[in-house]
Amino acid sequence: MSEANQSTIIQTRDLHKCYWVGTMPYPALHGIDLQIRSGEFAVLAGRSGSGKSTLLNIIGGLESADRGQAEVLGEDILKMGNSQRSKFRLTNIGFIFQAYNLIRVLSARENVAYVCQLQGKSKQQSLEIANHWLHEVEIGHLGYRRPDQLSGGQQQRVAVARALATEPKIILADEPTANLDSTTGRHLIELMQRLNQTLETTFLISSHDPDVKQAASRLIKLSDGQIVDSWDEIPQPPRSLEATCPLRNRPFTERLRHLFTPRRKARQQNRQRTSRHS
Amino acid sequence: MVSRLGILTYVALAVRNLVRNRRRTIITLLTMMFGIATLTLLSALNDGWLSQMKTNFILSFTGHLQIHAKGFESSQNLRDNIADPEAISRFMDTYPEIIGWTQRIRTSGLASVSGSSSGVQIMATDPEQETWVTSMDQSVTSGVWLRPGMNKDLLLGKTVAQNLGAGLSDRVILMTQRPSGEMVSEVFYLRGIIETGAPQIDRTLALISLDGAQQWLQMEQAVTDIVIRADHHDQTDTLYRLFVQQLSEQVYEIMPWQELDPMVRQWLEFSDAYGLIILFVVILLVLTEILNTMLISLHERQKELGVMIAIGTQPHRIFLMLLFEAVLLIFVGAVLGYLSASLIVMLLAEGGIDLTGYANAFEFFYMDPVIHPQLTRDSAIKILLATLVAALLSGLYPAWKATRLSVSQALRIQ
Repeated sequence: MSEANQSTIIQTRDLHKCYWVGTMPYPALHGIDLQIRSGEFAVLAGRSGSGKSTLLNIIGGLESADRGQAEVLGEDILKMGNSQRSKFRLTNIGFIFQAYNLIRVLSARENVAYVCQLQGKSKQQSLEIANHWLHEVEIGHLGYRRPDQLSGGQQQRVAVARALATEPKIILADEPTANLDSTTGRHLIELMQRLNQTLETTFLISSHDPDVKQAASRLIKLSDGQIVDSWDEIPQPPRSLEATCPLRNRPFTERLRHLFTPRRKARQQNRQRTSRHS
Repeated sequence: MVSRLGILTYVALAVRNLVRNRRRTIITLLTMMFGIATLTLLSALNDGWLSQMKTNFILSFTGHLQIHAKGFESSQNLRDNIADPEAISRFMDTYPEIIGWTQRIRTSGLASVSGSSSGVQIMATDPEQETWVTSMDQSVTSGVWLRPGMNKDLLLGKTVAQNLGAGLSDRVILMTQRPSGEMVSEVFYLRGIIETGAPQIDRTLALISLDGAQQWLQMEQAVTDIVIRADHHDQTDTLYRLFVQQLSEQVYEIMPWQELDPMVRQWLEFSDAYGLIILFVVILLVLTEILNTMLISLHERQKELGVMIAIGTQPHRIFLMLLFEAVLLIFVGAVLGYLSASLIVMLLAEGGIDLTGYANAFEFFYMDPVIHPQLTRDSAIKILLATLVAALLSGLYPAWKATRLSVSQALRIQ
């Protein structure tokens, strides 16, 4: 293994993903080839529906791909079973979500300690770690509050502390500043940058927040499920809908349904969905 | 890596999740309580009157076990008698389970009082020994119990006395067949009226002393029944096995109380089956309610569960957590329901539920018109087990469904 390969922490090859709503295909990723190196503060940028979250979910093992490979820390996460993925995430990946997603019935401290306990640490040890990380994200004094007693920014800091508490090698953050005001958002970006530099944790963030993009050590732009611009990646040529969403990948009953759905009705359904999403 | 999320963490999570939606939890608990309380009350009523029925049946007439000469129960003929009852009586002191026994002669006959007649079941017994076996002596509502040595004393069931128009001290002529087949009649004097609470006994009973009957019927020491009372209903089977081992089945027939009246046995079996049906229906209702609550809860918490899986919780732990939540909900509801029903049973046990208005409908089944509900260990175990099964069944499906959750879809829920 070369030195260049050793530093590669995430690698995807020809990653395809298509969502189906009834008989209508919604292509999400068109053959993504991406390499993220250890210690990067990489940002996936692009408009809504460009495939940022889908890519992040596949890398995090929360979703499967239709085709291609996604190696994280040298292991193909797509070939793992659900239980294996859970274990892998617990050890190696921390998540920060747009909507914070804390467990409502647990206090801030317990939310952070929960993942440590899942890792096998004792309750006492887990609570100590939780206190440490809450101090680290500057809300140590709010540890006993429940999520609904915290502001959005404070909840996101708890989420960051939870993501870091297991000392993962990678943190995947999906629109972490989207629900925060600009000042709180900037504070969060500074915090993540500081942690990236001091702990050398790799950050892969999906965002269309200009402040986040500005802070990136590497910016990867996605459009319609393809990388269109990256400081390292070569933009890929556009691909056809049939190439990303081949009907043969669908179950037999779905294919049959597709065959018998009148095209006019399908177009009508599509228009309705488009108008709902716009 | 072994998770340290112990049982207490699951308890805490389950409790907090239940407390989070107080109104729904309270409504579900009330439903549970009502269901289990209803079940417990019905069970207590059933057990109460079944127990009364057993006791009435055993103490009013039959005892726990009867030994006859082979074929007597079907022939009811005095020729099928036990000629040497002492051979059996010697066993009585050796078994501590026996608290009383008596010898009887039983035959059918006719009673006449100044022109009116009625068919009767003539029963001759030892006045003292009988009091150790049945409560007939306490059922004398007017007059006195059989007096030792007074061979002309007669006691009649209340209804038969009314039918004959017989009063205390009246001459009553009893007529029956000797073992030889010879018809004989004898004058007796009515000394007491018996009301056992079992109308079929009160309608036919003519009670005389054993010594007098043996002389009258020329049976010497022979008897037709040896009636045994055990210390407790549950010891009947033990005694039955002991006597079966000791006595030749070619000569004797040994019958536990259940066999002496097939109707009573069938009624008891029917009541057990009926109790099980009620148990099944109530548990099914409870199960549906909890299943509904758990599915709604699962629907509301999809995102949270998705997050838990995303941050590394193994699906089987989610399964356990939800299952635990259902079990906890049912357990608390069941305990509250059982306790409230126990309280009601305690309050009703003393005075009982008066069904005098319906007594005629039940008279055939040795029921008292006042039912005293009672909670038995067997019923409590049955209810507890059924509740546990319901809890597991109602928790399994939502818990399994949670493990099949699409994490990415759950995370997209707003």
